[in-house]
Amino acid sequence: MLRINNIEYSYEKEKQKYQYDFSLKAGETIVISGVSGVGKSTLLDIIAGFLTANSGEIILDKIKLANLAPEHRPISILFQDENLFEHLSVEKNLGLAFSKAIIDKEKIAIALKNVGLMGYEKRWAKNLSGGEKQRVALARTLLRNKPILLLDEPFSALDKKTAKDMRLLVKNLVKQYKWHTIVVSHNIEDAVELNAKNYIMKNGILKKT
Amino acid sequence: MLLTKGIIASQKRKIIMLIIALSISAFMTLLFFSIINVGNIFASNTAVIKIDILQLILMSLMQASLTTILSLSAGIAIAWALNRLEFFGKNLVVSLFATAIVAPAMVVAFGLISVWGRAGWIAQLLEFFGLSWNFSIFGLGGILFAHTILNGAFAAHILLARVDAIPARKLKSAQSLALTPFKRFILLDWAAISGALPALGSIIFLLAFTSFPIVLMLGGGVANQTLEVAIYSAVRLSFDLDLAVKLSVIQLVLCMIIIFPAIISNSNLANAGVNYSYKWQQKGLAQFTQIIILVLAVFAFALPLLAILIDGIAGGILDTLSRPSFWQASFTSISIGSLSAILTLILAVLIATGRAAFSNGILKAILGLPVFAYLVIPAVVLSLGFYLLSNKLDIATSTSAPFVLIIANSLLALPFAIAILAPAIETINYRYDKLSRSLNLSSLMRWRIVEWPLIGREIGIVLALAFCFSLGDLGIISLFGTNEFTTLPYAMYQSLGVYRSNDAAVIAAFMLILCLMVFWFLPVIFRKISNAKN
Repeated sequence: MLRINNIEYSYEKEKQKYQYDFSLKAGETIVISGVSGVGKSTLLDIIAGFLTANSGEIILDKIKLANLAPEHRPISILFQDENLFEHLSVEKNLGLAFSKAIIDKEKIAIALKNVGLMGYEKRWAKNLSGGEKQRVALARTLLRNKPILLLDEPFSALDKKTAKDMRLLVKNLVKQYKWHTIVVSHNIEDAVELNAKNYIMKNGILKKT
Repeated sequence: MLLTKGIIASQKRKIIMLIIALSISAFMTLLFFSIINVGNIFASNTAVIKIDILQLILMSLMQASLTTILSLSAGIAIAWALNRLEFFGKNLVVSLFATAIVAPAMVVAFGLISVWGRAGWIAQLLEFFGLSWNFSIFGLGGILFAHTILNGAFAAHILLARVDAIPARKLKSAQSLALTPFKRFILLDWAAISGALPALGSIIFLLAFTSFPIVLMLGGGVANQTLEVAIYSAVRLSFDLDLAVKLSVIQLVLCMIIIFPAIISNSNLANAGVNYSYKWQQKGLAQFTQIIILVLAVFAFALPLLAILIDGIAGGILDTLSRPSFWQASFTSISIGSLSAILTLILAVLIATGRAAFSNGILKAILGLPVFAYLVIPAVVLSLGFYLLSNKLDIATSTSAPFVLIIANSLLALPFAIAILAPAIETINYRYDKLSRSLNLSSLMRWRIVEWPLIGREIGIVLALAFCFSLGDLGIISLFGTNEFTTLPYAMYQSLGVYRSNDAAVIAAFMLILCLMVFWFLPVIFRKISNAKN
């Protein structure tokens, strides 16, 4: 269970206060929508540790995450873009999932197969399409297999069909690997196709719809 | 109808730009032929000169290669440290390194002697503790030290902008992947800076290869002479124009070869914007190393500047300021600097606007020719060209000197000015050209309501850079300076020649303060003026 307990945050020189309070079970997905600049991505930054909340707690199965540096949190994060190092091959990008210098090629091949990119190891990240890049990033998430998955507008740069395929892929992987998944999105289809709970950010407060 | 008028106005603009670019290029060619026509450069040389020339070339190449390696290494290390560390006064440190591009080289060399010389601050400090100081700031070591301080700070400023521009999302991804400091450097920083290294390396190599005041002041003798200093010596000391011409042609050819990789590598030094939204600091050994690097860099760069200011104030400032010759030199320097800066701005705006208006690659390249002029034609060689041209046209050098200084300094600042203005003007052209043409805005109106409000700050930077370059020039004035026609750098060099180091210290401090004031305040003033009209 991931618990976001009464988190409050406000940016310097801004009066607006953002408040978040909810929980989600393993294998569950929530989609947070709302207009631009309303504080949706701020929540992901707080959970990932890029921002420090003014108050409140983030607890994953009794472990308090606030005490951990971003690099030590059990989290995978995917953005709309900039998820890959474009000057590296797919294999090297995926190799970053391993903490040791040795790259497990077999695991990489399996992860790529799971995201529908079998045999892509030697391709350059910069030569991939937008959808393929997101799939490679997702494959890296599989290899890391962290219990929390944060997705910040992950499908918004993709065409309609690719976005639909990606949603289906994410839905299946979340179910299979029991990730706690939080998606920030503008698109209403995301919640429906990810079989997710719907939340909306309004006037600085996150509410269930 | 309106659109047709707009297109005609645009065509006129293009033709004017092309004429200006061709005029500058033709002018350069004229100077070049003035140089090679003086003597038969292919005439057989004496054995002594052959050996000297070979040694000069080897010395120049070796010194420039070492400078490039050291400066790039220092620049990368400083940029890395500055990007990671957050501390009070960081903006001041970044601004300090930015002044490397405008701080007159001879002033910095003088500051280095004050700090590291036999009777300098370090020697005095060690003497206080009963220790001796055997390091000599004169010779190859001193030249490399001075070049690395100036060019390393310049490189750091350029590279920092690229590291700072790494997108926040990329940083967050890397942090969530728990990249080690080394992996982070290789995957993020190196990827961001490597594209700039060929161009930056070539520029630093050329700056070192054609360096004049530093080699002149810190060379410490014939063994460490470079081509640039040898040209000056040939004209000024032995009046051997044949030798000066030979050396100039060799210098030009080598410079053209050196700039070639920068042109074909297509790397650029344009600022990529800054990511203010996210900072990722890594603690431990990496942070300790960053602190050490930054402390050493600030110490190495700021100490000579501080020494100049303190020596200047302590060095009988009232005595120097009471001399009419000081004020005469100041008036000449400031007047020439101001006129040269205005001329640079006019040429740069016209060329950058012209380049933005052309989509044809060849025409763009023709308009870009002046961009590489300074990088290929060193100051002393350019000065020699003007000197020979004046002789050929039977114009007394005393008459031509002010005009030569204004034009030559302006041409030398042109590549830097265009590098600053061109990206901004191209962006404006991309966004507003069609709209301006459809509204049939005249060139003047377009300048007033579209370009000027958006590039006010860049205009301030160009004026400041051109003024400072001109103010600190010793290369051009070296062949035109006389007792009657003196600029501040020339007066400072003359003072050093007759061992009046107190006078030199005051002049150095005055030049440094003037450069820093202009460089820091002019862009701010221009940004405010242009924004007020926006």
